[in-house]
Amino acid sequence: MRNQGRGKMSGHSTWPEWVYVGVVVALLCYVGAEAWNIERIIEHVPEDAELIKVEGQQWLWTFEHEDGTKEIGELHLEKGKAYRFEVTSKDVIHSFNIHDYTVLMDAVPGRINHVWFSPNVAGEFDIQCREYCGLIHYNMRGTLIVEDKGA
Amino acid sequence: MKVIIGSGVVLALLAILPSIQYVLAAGDSTGEYLDRRVEIWGLFYRLMIVAFTVGTVVSGLIVWLVLRFRESNPKAKPTSYEESGSW
Repeated sequence: MRNQGRGKMSGHSTWPEWVYVGVVVALLCYVGAEAWNIERIIEHVPEDAELIKVEGQQWLWTFEHEDGTKEIGELHLEKGKAYRFEVTSKDVIHSFNIHDYTVLMDAVPGRINHVWFSPNVAGEFDIQCREYCGLIHYNMRGTLIVEDKGA
Repeated sequence: MKVIIGSGVVLALLAILPSIQYVLAAGDSTGEYLDRRVEIWGLFYRLMIVAFTVGTVVSGLIVWLVLRFRESNPKAKPTSYEESGSW
């Protein structure tokens, strides 16, 4: 009785299984392609984006604008403008996070990471460290202040 | 033969889908302003729809299989292997 039905253990059609496998594979392809595509789009920085250097250290954030202005714990940006951040760290690994704008980038000593965004709502938003970095990690916070143009 | 065709379909999908995405997205994404929140959360929700759909189908299929092919189901009948007692 072995190999009865030309190798089919079940003795019935296996097409539903193949359709099932095909659908799952197609969905996985869709998931991969979509995620890859969105990542590619959001990593593409507009040409006129202003550079801001971000440095994390235990336990505060320092920001340096293109014109040399430095800020500690506070970051003033203009609504509607694009900003690209060069994120690094002085001591241990931190993670630069502006939750309300879905900005998240690791700050690693000896390495510069890039992220960009364009604030489109004026107001005050939290900046926080999102990577456990020592005793006072919980309080390694800052404030993003987005101001209307000309304010 | 079926395995070859199936593998071919899978490989074709793996190559073709990303290419289509790339071609469709290439024209309108060159350094334009965009809202990260919309893009990222939109992606998240789309992928959650896929994940929950797959989860529903898979778990539904398992529930159906368990109920349909349990021994106590009135429709259950022994397979040819079980009937003959050898396989």
